[in-house]
Amino acid sequence: MRPELARLRVERHGETALARIAGEVDSSNVGDLSQRLLAAVPNQARALVLDLSETSYIDSTGISLIFDAAARLRNRRQELRLVVTPRSFVGEVLAAVSMEQSVAIDPALDEALRAVGGERDRL
Amino acid sequence: MAEDEVIRLEDVQRVTESALAYLDLDDLLKELLDRVTDILGADTAAVLLVEEDGRTLAARAAKGLEEEVERGFKLPVGRGFAGRIAFTREPVVIEDLNNSPIQPINPLFKEKGVRSLLGVPLVVEGEVIGVLHVGSLTQRDFHDRDIELLQVVANRVALSIERSKLMVQGQIAATLQRSLLPRQLPQVPGLRMAARYLPAAVESAVGGDWYDVIELDNHCLAFVIGDVAGHGMAAATFMGQLRSAIRAYALDTTGAGEVVTKVAEFADRMHSRMATLIYATLNLNTWEVRFARAGHPYPLLIHSDGSTEFLSDTGGPPLGTVGGQIYAEEVLTLSAGETLLFYTDGLIERRGQQLSEGEEALVEVASSAPDEPELKCQAITTRLTEDATIADDIAVLVVQTVGLHEHLEVEVPAEPGQLVTARRLIRRWAEANNASDDDCAAFAIAVSEACANSIEHAYGPGEATIDLHASLVDGVAEVTIRDRGHWREPRGGNRGRGIPIMREFMDDVSIEGSERGTTVNLRRRLREGS
Repeated sequence: MRPELARLRVERHGETALARIAGEVDSSNVGDLSQRLLAAVPNQARALVLDLSETSYIDSTGISLIFDAAARLRNRRQELRLVVTPRSFVGEVLAAVSMEQSVAIDPALDEALRAVGGERDRL
Repeated sequence: MAEDEVIRLEDVQRVTESALAYLDLDDLLKELLDRVTDILGADTAAVLLVEEDGRTLAARAAKGLEEEVERGFKLPVGRGFAGRIAFTREPVVIEDLNNSPIQPINPLFKEKGVRSLLGVPLVVEGEVIGVLHVGSLTQRDFHDRDIELLQVVANRVALSIERSKLMVQGQIAATLQRSLLPRQLPQVPGLRMAARYLPAAVESAVGGDWYDVIELDNHCLAFVIGDVAGHGMAAATFMGQLRSAIRAYALDTTGAGEVVTKVAEFADRMHSRMATLIYATLNLNTWEVRFARAGHPYPLLIHSDGSTEFLSDTGGPPLGTVGGQIYAEEVLTLSAGETLLFYTDGLIERRGQQLSEGEEALVEVASSAPDEPELKCQAITTRLTEDATIADDIAVLVVQTVGLHEHLEVEVPAEPGQLVTARRLIRRWAEANNASDDDCAAFAIAVSEACANSIEHAYGPGEATIDLHASLVDGVAEVTIRDRGHWREPRGGNRGRGIPIMREFMDDVSIEGSERGTTVNLRRRLREGS
């Protein structure tokens, strides 16, 4: 009966899957989140936008989840973009591991959606 | 009066001798039957007891008629010789069985050749619980003094049987009661808990006191302390029902007042006996306490400086007294190093004393007792009971938040689910020492990473803990995370990120591994404001 540390919501925006994680990600819930996250991206989706703007905490296992997801999506020729609020705690942790060198990071959701073309499809 | 009309003192002494009380019931009955047949010059003797149904007599012990017990002889109250005694509650004498209007049902009398019989009822508090009879193989007339002496023995037997029944019930109740108390309290970083249960001095007076700690969702713990009125089996059984009801309501009800309101409704529907109760929840992240009280003694809050206050703002009547009651909850937030003391009335009630005197004594002992919860529990229960026999049972539950000023020292169970609590705790500690938001966040992740490493690399499954110490020296916060396992270098591209993250957020990180465990030292100078 573990309390729910983080909540994962998944939406479709045209050919883009949008996943938002609200709450805290650590080794107690990362396995569960990782499974649900990958299951949320259908084969025909062009990209996954992972919105971390409501994520209040992320640790090294959460970072690994993102790297793993990026690698898998790349193999499936799908794009991954992150949404991270600048100067937030999560932003600092991602910067500490130079995440921006491997995964595209946008400061706001609409920018990420525009970048993958989801916005256009929705209209 | 002729000498043989009066019962002899020495005969009475032989059957009332106090040393007999140390025998168990079977030995006692055998000894008494031996002695009474000897004194009365009888050949047979038997004890029959009324069964639970109140309508049947069953043979319990016999001399000269041993088969009566072996065969499990029974007869209805009102019929036959023994049945008539139980029914009329009067002694019955049969001078000659071959020539009597009262005919025994038991064929054994005829088989054994019993000629004369004398029987008396066993009475406890006005109620017939059985029959004692003696018989003679030769015809004889039982005199008044024989009847009187047999009645003395009967009273003795009745008392012993009653006592032994109560004792057995008391033992069952005590076993049941103890099985319903938590075997161990949950281990929660940042909280220290201790509890005691002291049974009443009299075995048959096992009561319905209990305490419970329940791990809820959303990082809350629930504490329960309660007291069911009365003693023995009935009280212990109802206590068990209440305990289960509370556990069930606690899991799908958030408010403390709501839980107690529902439990009160449950008690009403059960037409239960009276019970008092406190139900409290503690949020492990904020240390906010919400509790509701149903007729139970006030919890005592002991501040870190030793001053105390009874939490008496809200409360309702005991369960099982007023129907349809809604219970309100009282809210407070514990500071670092504060202690909440829950207890049952046995701790503060003394015969011939005002309740306020008991409360004063509790305050005095509680504020002067050692801080450590186990020691505090011990001191409180010992000192408040040392001058009196414990007439009522006592339950005590102590919950204490750790001190956060300058020094923090806690044990964290080595489970991933505890990481969040470790983060919250180190954050609270940093906040208490005027750290900035950045400092707090930095320590939260560095400590969480260090603990996660210990959990992942140092221990196999099973119970283990990590020591978390923090101290502040000249504006530099130093945190030590120590485990007792073997450090293994993290392998794989993604797995080695914990240490770089620690280094990123700390001024200094050192890791020392040895055979006996790994120690991670984190240092960071606290920045003013941010």
